[in-house]
Amino acid sequence: MKQALLEFALQRPRTVYLVTLLLALVLGLQIPRIQVDTDPENMLPETQADRVFHNEVKEEMALHDAIVVGLVATDHADGIYNPASLGALHRATEEIIELEGVVARDLMALPVADNIDQAGPGTVRFEWLMPEPPASREEALAIREAVERLPLLKDTLASGDGKAAAIYVPIRDKDESHRLAREIAAITAAASAEYGAPGEWHVTGLPVAEDTFGYEMFVQMGISAPLAGLAIFLLLWFFFRSIPLIVAPMIVAMVTVIATMGLLIGMGFTVHIMSSMIPIFLMPIAVVDSVHIMSEFADRYRPGRDRNETIREVVGHLFRPMLFTSVTSSVGFASLALTPIPPVQVFGAYVAFGIMLAFLLTIVFIPAWISRMKPEKLARMQAAIHSGEGDSLLARLLRSTGRGALRHGKLVLLGFAVVFALSVAGITQIQINDNPTRWFKSDHRIRVADEVLNRHFAGTYDAWIVLDHVDRPDGALLAERVQPALAAAPAGVREFWGELAPATDETLGGERLTGLISALEDRLFDADGAAAEALEALLRAVESVASEAKYFQQPEVLRWIAALQADLEASGLAGKSNGLPDLVKTVNRELRSGAPEDYRIPERSAGVAQALLQFQSSHRPQDLWHMVTPDFSRAVVWLQLPSGDNQDMTAVIEHVDAYLEQHPLPAGMDLQWAGKTYLNVVWQEAMVKGMVGSLASAFLAVLIMMTILFRSFGYGLLAMLPLTITITFIYGLIGWIGKDYDMPIAVLSALTLGLSIDFAIHFIERSREALAELGDFRAAMAAVFEEPARAISRNAIVIAVGFTPLLLAPLVPYITVGVFLASIMAVSALVTLVLLPAAMQPFLADRKRAA
Amino acid sequence: MKYLQLIGLSIFALALSPGARAEPLTDAKEIVARANLASYYNGDDGRSEARMAIEDAQGRRQLRQFTILRRDHADGGDQDFMVFFSRPSDVRGTVFLVAKHVDRDDDRWLYLPGLDLVRRISAGDKRTSFVGSNFFYEDVSGRHPEADEHTLVETTAEHYVLESRPKDPGAVEFDRYVTRIDRNTFLPMRTEYYDDRDRVYRLMEVLAVEEIGGYPTVTRSRMSAPLDGGNTLMEFRYIEYDVGLPADIFSERYLRSPPVDWLRRSGE
Repeated sequence: MKQALLEFALQRPRTVYLVTLLLALVLGLQIPRIQVDTDPENMLPETQADRVFHNEVKEEMALHDAIVVGLVATDHADGIYNPASLGALHRATEEIIELEGVVARDLMALPVADNIDQAGPGTVRFEWLMPEPPASREEALAIREAVERLPLLKDTLASGDGKAAAIYVPIRDKDESHRLAREIAAITAAASAEYGAPGEWHVTGLPVAEDTFGYEMFVQMGISAPLAGLAIFLLLWFFFRSIPLIVAPMIVAMVTVIATMGLLIGMGFTVHIMSSMIPIFLMPIAVVDSVHIMSEFADRYRPGRDRNETIREVVGHLFRPMLFTSVTSSVGFASLALTPIPPVQVFGAYVAFGIMLAFLLTIVFIPAWISRMKPEKLARMQAAIHSGEGDSLLARLLRSTGRGALRHGKLVLLGFAVVFALSVAGITQIQINDNPTRWFKSDHRIRVADEVLNRHFAGTYDAWIVLDHVDRPDGALLAERVQPALAAAPAGVREFWGELAPATDETLGGERLTGLISALEDRLFDADGAAAEALEALLRAVESVASEAKYFQQPEVLRWIAALQADLEASGLAGKSNGLPDLVKTVNRELRSGAPEDYRIPERSAGVAQALLQFQSSHRPQDLWHMVTPDFSRAVVWLQLPSGDNQDMTAVIEHVDAYLEQHPLPAGMDLQWAGKTYLNVVWQEAMVKGMVGSLASAFLAVLIMMTILFRSFGYGLLAMLPLTITITFIYGLIGWIGKDYDMPIAVLSALTLGLSIDFAIHFIERSREALAELGDFRAAMAAVFEEPARAISRNAIVIAVGFTPLLLAPLVPYITVGVFLASIMAVSALVTLVLLPAAMQPFLADRKRAA
Repeated sequence: MKYLQLIGLSIFALALSPGARAEPLTDAKEIVARANLASYYNGDDGRSEARMAIEDAQGRRQLRQFTILRRDHADGGDQDFMVFFSRPSDVRGTVFLVAKHVDRDDDRWLYLPGLDLVRRISAGDKRTSFVGSNFFYEDVSGRHPEADEHTLVETTAEHYVLESRPKDPGAVEFDRYVTRIDRNTFLPMRTEYYDDRDRVYRLMEVLAVEEIGGYPTVTRSRMSAPLDGGNTLMEFRYIEYDVGLPADIFSERYLRSPPVDWLRRSGE
């Protein structure tokens, strides 16, 4: 097959060009259909249990994604509570609520908040907290006083230090948040100008972060990828000094990138943060094989010699190592498909595909191209490369490296052993952590807003503790309860109930019971005498069950939740928690006296129900259903976390787990987590576990391939040595310098494996060839440290430099990937060139005698 | 004016017999005044039992059941209301007492048996939810006809169509509302509330009218929220007018010990 492909390329270069062009065109035309996906939620499959549960809770409790708008007035003596700032807040709220795409009824801000307080002794008052902007300092300060009394508002809608106020803008569709954030920015600026308000506005919240990320991702793709192309082009020119020659690998790289991205988009995949990095990964990798062919070709070609003959020789010589390096790199990336994270799977699969495509293109397109180059250009190139190549700095450096490695072989081995041990120690220090907001640089306006708002407020990151009543009443319980009433009832009523009664195994929700009550009621409408009495008795029985079914209305249950909340507050891990107990206590306090001692849960369930009936007589009765379902079988405690770091979220979860050890859940209650911050922890854990699996399987696969390639298990192990050291070293370094192990870092492990094996393959292959040819280990090593070592170094430099434009990216994950891949390339090339000779020496040094 | 003819009302001595459709009225103020009477002032007093089925946007339902006693001081004038809750059972015994005044804020009291509390409620804003339903407090007690500017925009074979704009836009959440008032009964049959983007965000529809004690009375109506979803269906049963409620039961004293004799349906 190899021969057939090569002959085809050499004989019919025009067809090769045409096919390449068609490939780029057909797949490239798919690219405009690109759909960017920046939702971290999509790190989990759509059917993942936690994600499904999260969305179910979100839907049921009407908890929308929200843009958080904050006005911070630190310079004013009264903080935010001055007429101008509150005026601006009022005006901004008024206009934001009208924006298309905003869920007006669930928007939260001081101007649309309800206040409940005392209008005099024995008189309770329900009114808008701030229906109009305050006209005087006194009025403004009165609002502060009111807010301080309302635990659900304080530290949420206005900061505890009185310096900041927030507007939570719930939105229908998070894809609209970029537009909305822009409109909001215009509104807030105008509002501040209108009132001459002191203070700064900030806009943050996950939807804005995600949408902005999508935008900057495009910027990154538009800048970094072409820059990587340019960097590689310049490097190739530096190495080969022939524009016509290096145009070929550039075409291979371009076509590979266009075809891969086109296929990905054409297949209907969204471009996620990971897949947006595909071009920049493929570009340098796609060029690498070309560099090998061109290096060899430049080495072997002499003017006057048949160039097709030279190409056949070169390709025949390089086919196996190139195939293996491509396959191993592909395997490294493809192993990412074993992680349970869809965007990472797509990334791995398509880079793997791209690498194989690049290999195919290289062995077909490059020979075709060279076969059509003008002889004088080849000659010029030849001259340029060979003039002084053997005396270049790189060449001298490599030679002394090779000699040094052999001379101090034991020392080298000892040194690497020490580095390895230190690295393993470093790995144990690794901090697993991520936070999508930190994907922005620290001076990005979203990071700034995030920092400022979380300094003033309890927190802008959401996690929800979802409490469920699992021990629901069923038909059997109801049958038992109605039994006495039924026994005394006339036949007609018994018959009626017989048709109405639920099956004994049916779980009865609040709504089902309400339906039964209504049906009995309707029947009662036309009944009299004994029938009416019997129906009344039945009604009372059903009502008693319905009342018990309202689990989260029971005082002892609310007290249990309040205790959990108090414990969380005391732990300092969560900025604040908001739940039904807070609301019930507040209403109870204001109904009774307004005094702090009445800030408590009523003694009886009926008291709770009646306090809530009063709350529902406010302007915003629907707010209740964010905290509990109308049948009182599910309650949600909303935690405001000041940090979106997964570590911090994990600490909260662990704290609650420990609390539950000491204070077991009441019988019949179930506790689960939801919320975006929680989901981030879920996918990160899945990824860390997945990465271990993917790394292990890639390691095994590559080891097997190496054993097959070298037909020796020993050589197979040897080939794995440099990458093992490299990966261990890189992750040890991450552990020692305290860089968080986050998504990009996690992904690096598997692909490092695929990339750094290349150097070992080429080195060992060439060493064995040289050994076979020269029969003397030292001489073989000296030969290897000429052209082969240069090709390896060149490739390491090409890939490393190819990734450096990522350093200019506006987003942190790209920078991380750029820095680490560049270092990985450098380290693994170095390890290969220094460690392998030293490691081979003890086994092969005696070959001298054999020769 | 408007819907929610909780209770019947007084004998506004108009001839309402079928076929008595005289020349259509042209004065919006007069139409509104009559609608106010037809909706809220049937008889000198009245009692009825109401059942509210509150359904939210997700289709989840809650039930509220209460008995209303009403006594008028004068037609179109001050009124006393008492609302006794019977369902759900955990709010049973809760009582609202309202002394509605046409020239000043209402007086409102509240009894919560579960908390063993009698409290006066500062009147404040009447456009708050009535116990979590889509109806507002003001829908139940009646909005003062003088609060809005009314214009007769159309007279159809069946209805007067009025457009009303608030005199104090800052005090209400609507921009305007349009009411279709039955030319015969003067009952508002449909009211659409528009927001400032001219969208109907609240909609009241009368679903059934029955003649009770000679008064056409709304027995089923629905208030819905077309933009957010959700609605409340309100049904009245056991309606009686001119039952002879004594004035003294509408007092704070009776909050803790309800006037059971007057709450009981006739015939029981």
